Amino acid sequence: MQELRVGFVVNPVAGMGGRVGLKGTDGLADRARALGAEPTAGARATAALLPLAGRPLRFVTAGGGMGEAALSAAGIAGFDCVYRPAVPTTALDTRAACRAILEQGVDLLLFCGGDGTARDVADAVGRAVPILGIPAGVKMYSSVFAVDPAAVGAVVPTDGPLRCTDAEVIDVDEAAYRANDLRTVLHAVVRTPVAPGLVQATKQVFEEADEDRARAAIGAFIADAMLPGVLYILGPGTTTGAVGRHLGLETTLLGFDAVLDGRLIKADLDENALLAQLEMVGEARLVLSVIGAQGFVLGRGTQVCTPSVLRRIGPRHLLLLGTPGKLVRTPALHIDTGDPALDAAFGPHLQVVTGYGTAQRKRVGGDPAAPIMGERNG
Amino acid sequence: MQTKIHLDEDEMPRRWYNIQADLPAPLDPPLNPKTGVPVTPGDLSAIFPAELIRQEMTAARFVDIPDEVIDILRLWRPSPLFRARRLEEYLKTPARIYYKYEGVSPAGSHKPNTAVPQAYYNRQEGIERLATETGAGQWGSALAFATCHFEMDCTVYMVRSSYAQKPYRKMMMQVWGAECHPSPSILTASGRAVLEKDPNTPGSLGIAISEAVEDAANHANTNYALGSVLNHVCLHQTVIGLEAREQLASVDEYPDVVIGAVGGGSNFAGIAFPFAGDKLTGKKPEVELIGVEPAACPTLTKGLYAYDYGDVAGLTPIMKMFTLGHDFVPPDIHAGGLRYHGVSPIVSRLVRDGVARAVSVYQNEVFDAAQTFARTEGIIPAPEAAHAIRTAIDVALECRRTGEARTILFNNTGHGHFDLASYEAYYAGILPDYDYPEELIRDALSRLPKVG
Ligand SMILES: Cc1ncc(COP(=O)(O)O)c(C=O)c1O
Repeated sequence: MQELRVGFVVNPVAGMGGRVGLKGTDGLADRARALGAEPTAGARATAALLPLAGRPLRFVTAGGGMGEAALSAAGIAGFDCVYRPAVPTTALDTRAACRAILEQGVDLLLFCGGDGTARDVADAVGRAVPILGIPAGVKMYSSVFAVDPAAVGAVVPTDGPLRCTDAEVIDVDEAAYRANDLRTVLHAVVRTPVAPGLVQATKQVFEEADEDRARAAIGAFIADAMLPGVLYILGPGTTTGAVGRHLGLETTLLGFDAVLDGRLIKADLDENALLAQLEMVGEARLVLSVIGAQGFVLGRGTQVCTPSVLRRIGPRHLLLLGTPGKLVRTPALHIDTGDPALDAAFGPHLQVVTGYGTAQRKRVGGDPAAPIMGERNG
Repeated sequence: MQTKIHLDEDEMPRRWYNIQADLPAPLDPPLNPKTGVPVTPGDLSAIFPAELIRQEMTAARFVDIPDEVIDILRLWRPSPLFRARRLEEYLKTPARIYYKYEGVSPAGSHKPNTAVPQAYYNRQEGIERLATETGAGQWGSALAFATCHFEMDCTVYMVRSSYAQKPYRKMMMQVWGAECHPSPSILTASGRAVLEKDPNTPGSLGIAISEAVEDAANHANTNYALGSVLNHVCLHQTVIGLEAREQLASVDEYPDVVIGAVGGGSNFAGIAFPFAGDKLTGKKPEVELIGVEPAACPTLTKGLYAYDYGDVAGLTPIMKMFTLGHDFVPPDIHAGGLRYHGVSPIVSRLVRDGVARAVSVYQNEVFDAAQTFARTEGIIPAPEAAHAIRTAIDVALECRRTGEARTILFNNTGHGHFDLASYEAYYAGILPDYDYPEELIRDALSRLPKVG
């Protein structure tokens, strides 16, 4: 059988800020260390590697705490070390290591860290190889992480092809986050492996092809439902992007674009530009993708979806899009506009368009792990 | 205290009840899909036997059930009526809940009630093979069971996504001697046309109907059989309500509320039409009739009352009914039998006239109810049947609030032994609450060119 080549990068300081209340470690590793934090990412990486030992995998990694040490601790020998980091390591090392690994040619890049690490990895490799995160950070809102380190072994295939799907890397503004202000921005869309077989009996395994199909159907449906004279604001993401594709428009992946009567009238709007567009039309619809592993419906923190914009468009005129594959991994949606009264106006459930003429109802907020069973019968 | 209320075999109804006789105005006629004029019996003779065409159109109040049919129905009929006392106690409701259990049939649902007479009349007229469609496999297995008693061949076009997901229904059909193909198939022009456009399509009931109708129209020895929607199918299902009315009378009861799930409308027709007749003729003006449909496919609650095709290819007669549009492909809910864009013209008429009403429910709340029912009454219901249970529980809980001791009757159309994968999804917490994007669909339709 063909040996799978796996790139492997650890951010050794990931997660340190969390234990000492720093809500993230970006640029704060020294402070975390001074507060008594111990590095833990290496141990989590080793735990994830243990089930992979003995498999026909060839690892390509970076030196010391950035990979080499964890591989050795897991009893994996015979890997290639292609990058020597500075000590202490920084985000620049993560990116440089990823680029060096990419040059060697790998089928999958396994990294250990949190959202910040995912962002650095995504910047370095883009969509060139699928990436999979071993969760070790303070924040993990991106949808590229295995549910826990032990699950990594199940996601890396023992035989057969690597099946992939699109996943978002989410940028959380750490400075704002520390002030209990959750600001999320879609940073990039990368590829990540899916785990075939885990829930096979219920037919809930979605592959790239299914996702593409669903996105195309959603795009066609929204395009068909666009009314003349109504302004459609297409938010970031590949699902909203499918609407633009169906209309043959050059919309942006990460920005907000204005579409009127089938034409792209302005791309990549900021708040003021959008408010100006809204002044010129009677009615508008905000078309958003469900983003990230936590089901964010972008609110505060994007340049555009400020409470004044949302009030102007009206909560009723939010059109949410999400593929069935995305929604199965998203127990509940989260709305955080920064204005609790406005949040409440969206109601306890939102409808998410999932295909041509089809939708799902999703709960907003609440504890995503709370059981849905037995709600009404007692 | 009595839990099961039985009828003796010789108390089985000898006649079906035809509600067309008691409608205040006749139904709008079905139209020929090619000419747009009302269909004649001749139009239908390529795919249906003369006796079923007669039953489709008759205004006679009762139609005799042939002895040969009664003989086979006797294998499981009369079906038991249960008093759901443990469910009542669990719900702490003053309501009295009764349910008719159709899961005792060999195929495990109410579908054999019409499969047997349909096979019989076709055989009487020399037909050697029946072609049909099936969604989740309930109807296909029922027809396979019925044709096997008349030594007929049976070809079933099964919606592709279910074909892969429900291997055991497929095996049942094989045991009873039928052949089952995933639809769309390359066996028909309608199937090939769909596959050409989209080789990976999951298929739909509308496409499978087109294939079966085409198969029947192109083979002289073959007719088509439909498991729901049509008037004669609803007629055959009235044995359910006729028995239930007798069974309730034997314990001095008459229902205040009658509830059934609605896919194409046949089991709802079966349990509700005898009571709807009592209502229309003024004998019981107060009885409430409720059809329950999935929020994902809300034909009666959000559809349009209009003429539409019964299938995707437009081969069936155009019928006046509530419809979501014949090209609407409902999402893949686990209650596969409720995934149909239209609904029986008679049920539609009763809803439009306010004789019956409809509610829609979400998938997870349906399984909440199914679990409650299984844990109190024992039977693990089919997801379709659980829609009726959901609403029965809701009515009973309303009685708890108001203190009213209403008598509730619902139709438990089948067991869920072949649907356990849907329970698995429910417990895994990954059962989507499919919804119907009503406003967007209206926007999309408003832009379509008007035809006809
Ligand atoms: C168990 C069960 N109940 C209900 C239905 C719904 O169909 P109808 O509305 O024709 O009764 C089906 C259809 O397959 C079924 O299998």
